[in-house]
Amino acid sequence: MPRLDRLPEANRANLLNLPMQVNESSPYTPLPRPLAACRLAIVTTAGLHRRGDRPFGPGEQGYRIIPGDLASIEIIQSHTSLGFDRAPIMRDVNISFPVDRLRELVARGELGAVAPNHYSFMGAQRDLAGIQTTTGPEVGRRLREEGVQAALITPT
Amino acid sequence: MLARALEAEGIATTSISMVREHTEKVKPPRALFVPFPFGHALGRAEDPALQHRVLRAALDLLTEPAGPVLRDFPDDAALDTEPPAPTQASAIKSVAAVGGDAMSEARSMIGQHEQWLARSGGRTALGPSGVTREALPGLVPFLKSFADGQTVDAAERPADVPQAGFIRYLADDLKTLYWEGYLGTKPQAGGDEIARWFWGETALGQLLRRVRDRLDAAGDPASKAAAFGVAR
Repeated sequence: MPRLDRLPEANRANLLNLPMQVNESSPYTPLPRPLAACRLAIVTTAGLHRRGDRPFGPGEQGYRIIPGDLASIEIIQSHTSLGFDRAPIMRDVNISFPVDRLRELVARGELGAVAPNHYSFMGAQRDLAGIQTTTGPEVGRRLREEGVQAALITPT
Repeated sequence: MLARALEAEGIATTSISMVREHTEKVKPPRALFVPFPFGHALGRAEDPALQHRVLRAALDLLTEPAGPVLRDFPDDAALDTEPPAPTQASAIKSVAAVGGDAMSEARSMIGQHEQWLARSGGRTALGPSGVTREALPGLVPFLKSFADGQTVDAAERPADVPQAGFIRYLADDLKTLYWEGYLGTKPQAGGDEIARWFWGETALGQLLRRVRDRLDAAGDPASKAAAFGVAR
């Protein structure tokens, strides 16, 4: 999308005057302690799971659990969209699910710990009501119960 | 939106965003906008240094005092070699007279796939259909009969997976066999190059186009969704 300051004046004014859907104030949880003392989980919408798990189906708003100590070689993708390049994740799961990178941060003392479980949803969906009302909050509760303070949310 | 659900349960979140306009409207508490194409959220495969820079930029947002925060990862990291989204089958012309037997072609990909496994340390994306790699070529006749309009089923289909879904996962695994086979001999190839080869030059690419057509023509939502996931 062109930067506003590079557009002709008339276009700029139009864009600035468009009615925008503004979200009401959203919950904002501060980090309770330095990252080096925190547990972090990845929550991805890249449609990932353990090989052998039930694959994602179209319109599915459920999630899969990926154990925090699972080797990245065991993780596959069953996202139902064709709208993204699959070659990178075939070569390196960290492109959407940077679990090896997190382990390196822990080894360097920059992150307290990798969470016991990561979670994957499938993105690129029209109707997100199920994730919003049910499965999203469910994952939030599980993370809380697993002593996780922070989550990195990654797209496809 | 997922961020809001997690934050409400007391989890601090930071998100990687690939569609800036969407993020601007939805306003997750902390988001890093990255200039990479879909499929490249952390930048580049097998580039830990770049991935660490992206990760660091996303994690740094966790210490912002208040939200919403939307930060841009530097534009100069953008990958100029890859298009924003992969070229789809409908935009790729097939080479005239791609004849050939998709089943023996698939079988020959297994040898190239072995090269991939040697390079990748055993890493493969194969799996969603539940069919072993060695058995995949044997399912090509099933796909051919389906594409020809016959009423057929495959013994390998799990009882709890409807046919349209199984065909879609089968197509995924066959594409993975070919994609990874290609990467076995050209490990730095981008997805666009592989897509052009697959849809333009292989017998299986031609077959999957016909499978897609039959699924789309069936009309029911599950078949249409499967069609949309086989080829566009």
